[in-house]
Amino acid sequence: MTRSRQWLLALAALAVAAVVLFPIYWMLLTSMLPSELTRSRDPVLLPRLSALSLDAFAAVLARKPVLTWLANSGIVTVGATFISLVISTLAGYSLSRFKSRAQQGAGFVLLVSKMLPSSLIVIPFFIGFSTFGLIDSRWGLIVANAAVGVPFATWLMKGFFDGIPRELELAAMLDGCSGMQAVWYVVLPLSKPGLAACGIYLAIVTWSDFVFARTLVTSPDRWVLTVGMQSFLGEYLVDWSSLMAVGALSLAPVFVLFLLLEPFLVSGMTQGAVAN
Amino acid sequence: MIGRSRWVGYALLSPALLAVGFLILYPLYLVVATSFRQGKTLNVLRLSELPFGLANYRTILASDATWHSVAVTIVYLLGTIGPAFLIGLGAALLLNRTFPGRRWLRSFILLPWAVPGVIVSIVFLWLLDGSFGVVNALLRQAGWLATDLAWFAHDDTALAAVIVPTVWKAYPFFTLTLLAALQAIPASLYEAARVDGATSWQRFRYITWPGIRPSATLAAILNTLWALREFDIIYLTTGGGPDRATETLAVRIYQEAFAFFRMGTASTLGVLTMTIAVLLVLMSMRTIRREYF
Repeated sequence: MTRSRQWLLALAALAVAAVVLFPIYWMLLTSMLPSELTRSRDPVLLPRLSALSLDAFAAVLARKPVLTWLANSGIVTVGATFISLVISTLAGYSLSRFKSRAQQGAGFVLLVSKMLPSSLIVIPFFIGFSTFGLIDSRWGLIVANAAVGVPFATWLMKGFFDGIPRELELAAMLDGCSGMQAVWYVVLPLSKPGLAACGIYLAIVTWSDFVFARTLVTSPDRWVLTVGMQSFLGEYLVDWSSLMAVGALSLAPVFVLFLLLEPFLVSGMTQGAVAN
Repeated sequence: MIGRSRWVGYALLSPALLAVGFLILYPLYLVVATSFRQGKTLNVLRLSELPFGLANYRTILASDATWHSVAVTIVYLLGTIGPAFLIGLGAALLLNRTFPGRRWLRSFILLPWAVPGVIVSIVFLWLLDGSFGVVNALLRQAGWLATDLAWFAHDDTALAAVIVPTVWKAYPFFTLTLLAALQAIPASLYEAARVDGATSWQRFRYITWPGIRPSATLAAILNTLWALREFDIIYLTTGGGPDRATETLAVRIYQEAFAFFRMGTASTLGVLTMTIAVLLVLMSMRTIRREYF
């Protein structure tokens, strides 16, 4: 392929990226422009740089408990990701090394859990959590999010462990390691990329959760960001600049995590792992 | 490898089995059990005191609203999967070529996959706003629109308006899967075709398409299941309205349960949704087994 042809392709990809990312661009622009420019019947697509400001961010932080929502989202995401990751690492290792009937069962459970609408699974959660007094508690929210993450994360981790040859563990054991030591010193360091990818995936999913947070938590001081954003929509006149500012704040960590995760997704797909 | 014993294997598996048992399988059972409880209650702890019977099933299966929801769901699924597949395939074909900056452009083109549903909803609510939305402004400038059309609030346009953000969030999954399949096609096949003088359409038809077809089918199935579950976007943009125009099964279930507190009928609808999902999976089991396990 000639050099100019390559640049043409790059230009085409740039155009595609510009079109598909326009909604994100528009969100950022709305959050940084004064509202007389955005609440206009002829909005400017490319404003002057001098018109941009972070006033809407300052205003919304002063007017709404955005930092509380942010902290709640952070706590729930870290908690649920950690629990899910530990459980599914153990289970993934087991499924990878011990062939059993559980293997086929795991595949089936994975498919079933992928089919359930979260608006449906939240009903029994609501009933069960009411029984155990877990409604309106961050712990309840962590447990709910961790649970729905386990099946897929287990499948991911099994795939990563399958890629690490058994012979490495056997060699370590011949050199005098116990079974536990072989796993701890040989297998786990090798599966670091897998753990990272799996953790990032779980974090993105939990951070995005809306249904559980909306249904299982009621007090405004325990709201997470997604529920906080919804509260803007109930107002008579939606304050779009503020809402887009909160949206931008809550998208920022996802954006960073996704850039880290993306190479794993592309290579993971080649190995047949499927994320959706 | 820890020991040789099967028991170690099960011990490692047990936390996951517990999680799946208590938090996926038991809830499933609870849904089925609740679907036989008739009437409504504000106190879910007293659900088991409600009369037991098949009345919910009779109500749900005889109700026009149910079949309306099924129809809306089917239109929503087809309207999402078709465009998402075409956009996803186009992007995958483009990203499969080599060009400068490909790593970053690939990340950006795949980004919508990771954007939380709530953010997708608020952004498209704003883009498609009747008076101040940028989409309407552009359409007015082009002379294609004379009025302030509120896309999400009109019976005729609401379903299309919820499909657009869903497509936006769904196409990267196709790109990702198809890109992986494209990269697995040996370059030598294309070389041979070029030597034999095949046109680019022939190369696509006889090399690319057979190479990606299994992955494409699997991705379409998984994306259909995903769209069947999709709730955030519709609930936040239209809430199922106006006049039930966008009320898919997933949205209807939630409204029954948490707006009207009819846990029984909500669970019955849930059983119906799961039945549809299981039928979809059974219909495509051969493809799934070949590609997935």
